[in-house]
Amino acid sequence: MLPVAQSRGSALRGVLLLSPVQLLANALIAGSLAALIAGGLALVYGVLGVFNMALGQLTLIGGYTAWWLHQVAHMSVLFSVIGGLLCGALMTWITFEVFVRPFYKHHRFLPLVTTIAWSMILDGFILLAFEERPRSILSEAKSMISLGSVLISREQCLMIVLTIVALLLFAWIFHCTSFGRKLRAVVQHESAARSLGINSAILHRVIFIVSGMFAAAGGIFIGIDQNLSPTLAFSLTIKAYAAIIAGGKGNIWGAIVCAYVIALLEQLLVGIHWFGAFYVPAGYQQTVALLFIIVILLLKPSGLFRSFARTA
Amino acid sequence: MSILSLSHISLTIGEHRILSDVSCSVDQGEIVGLIGPNGSGKTTLFNVISGFLAPTHGTMHLQGSDITNISSSRRAQMGIGRVFQNFGIFREMTLEENVLVALEALPKADRMQRGNLRKIAGETLEMVGLASHAKQKAGSLSGGQMRLLEIARTLMSGKEVFLLDEPTAGVSPKMTQQVADLILQLQKQGKTVLVVEHDLPFISHVCDRVIVMDTGKVALTGKPEDVKKSKELRELYFGADPTT
Repeated sequence: MLPVAQSRGSALRGVLLLSPVQLLANALIAGSLAALIAGGLALVYGVLGVFNMALGQLTLIGGYTAWWLHQVAHMSVLFSVIGGLLCGALMTWITFEVFVRPFYKHHRFLPLVTTIAWSMILDGFILLAFEERPRSILSEAKSMISLGSVLISREQCLMIVLTIVALLLFAWIFHCTSFGRKLRAVVQHESAARSLGINSAILHRVIFIVSGMFAAAGGIFIGIDQNLSPTLAFSLTIKAYAAIIAGGKGNIWGAIVCAYVIALLEQLLVGIHWFGAFYVPAGYQQTVALLFIIVILLLKPSGLFRSFARTA
Repeated sequence: MSILSLSHISLTIGEHRILSDVSCSVDQGEIVGLIGPNGSGKTTLFNVISGFLAPTHGTMHLQGSDITNISSSRRAQMGIGRVFQNFGIFREMTLEENVLVALEALPKADRMQRGNLRKIAGETLEMVGLASHAKQKAGSLSGGQMRLLEIARTLMSGKEVFLLDEPTAGVSPKMTQQVADLILQLQKQGKTVLVVEHDLPFISHVCDRVIVMDTGKVALTGKPEDVKKSKELRELYFGADPTT
């Protein structure tokens, strides 16, 4: 049996001795969140070939909107979640129309700069509107379920199941429908797709907005499972990019797998006594994603899985 | 009757004049070869016709409609099909999906009229002898097979004008004949074909007329046998003969 360490999980779980199964469960929870964000981002990269550096902020806006609707406007959880998703979609659409679309035709690196500027504006807005205090969408205590040696909240179970359902639904759309075939055609050879009559401009817009909704869903999950904080945006963006770069640029399934791998490595790093009585401080968890990119790029510069670089 | 006409098309990118006052028209059912040295503007002209590049000056008409300011996807829906020099196939999709996606991109009325698209996709692959590879990824095909797939896919997607950019590049001699047969089959169906090619015997074999381009201009036009004998063509390809 693996050695145990103190958990840095939610305050509600308190101090726990982590079994390997509990570590895996925690990785599954954190990985589900990262997979949602990274999957959408990988799709955007695959279709448009651009990076959206305001992704972390858009994630938080989804979460904060749901928090505001539930805690301040006293709407039901369901309507607050829908509101959060719609607001995330709306803000992502604005991001696309103002900070991406006018620029990416000239050079696909220009949106890298414009979305960094937008992320800074959004950082200021989030700080002004929601302050630095941690915000949780659900104020009531979470009910915990014990599955053998694993302790997990109902909300976390729901989050894992919903992520898997969302990813399966997405897989079905992507691989089995006419819309998905058009999308894959644009990812693989945009000029050929356009010459067949596929309107890639509409697909670009739809994909960007869908990625924003996935990110907003991630923000809502954070607000339900943990606490929302304005400082989270950067680490969310970095983790998502680590997953898409390590997964092979543009490879959606590669990004999703890597999101889960990074989450597992994070849990292993802080969840195990690696050096006898000493354990790695939780603050170092954020460095896992960055180390992971460096190691993968050194060993396999094109990423773990096949990169779907845009042909034209 | 002219199906496609270009009038005084020019294209300047930065300081460079890529196309200069190109005017020509192509009749319905005609196969026209576009030849000229590398950098003479043949592929650029295809990019302008298919809507990937906007001309700086000039107008274009397809079946009488002005298409100068229309997007590439709309032009495709109006009947312009393109076969790319660097294989415009979707390598990570199966052969069946490659054809299916082309049929699904058709305007709704056309799609409804055709009925079972999967069946048509199967027939398309059968036509070019690729039916046994239907569930294989297109990236696993040989260069010649990829070319046949691309032409057949464009053919079945109901286009009226075909722009074929070096369709025999990277294709074996046996398959080159198959590509030629496919082009002649298009003509029999009343389709119009513009083909960019360096293979002059191939051009002579399939084309009704040849347009020779040089430095972004139309240098010469005529029947393949006349153009082949012309001094201008020899000069373009081999330089001026010092003995004459």
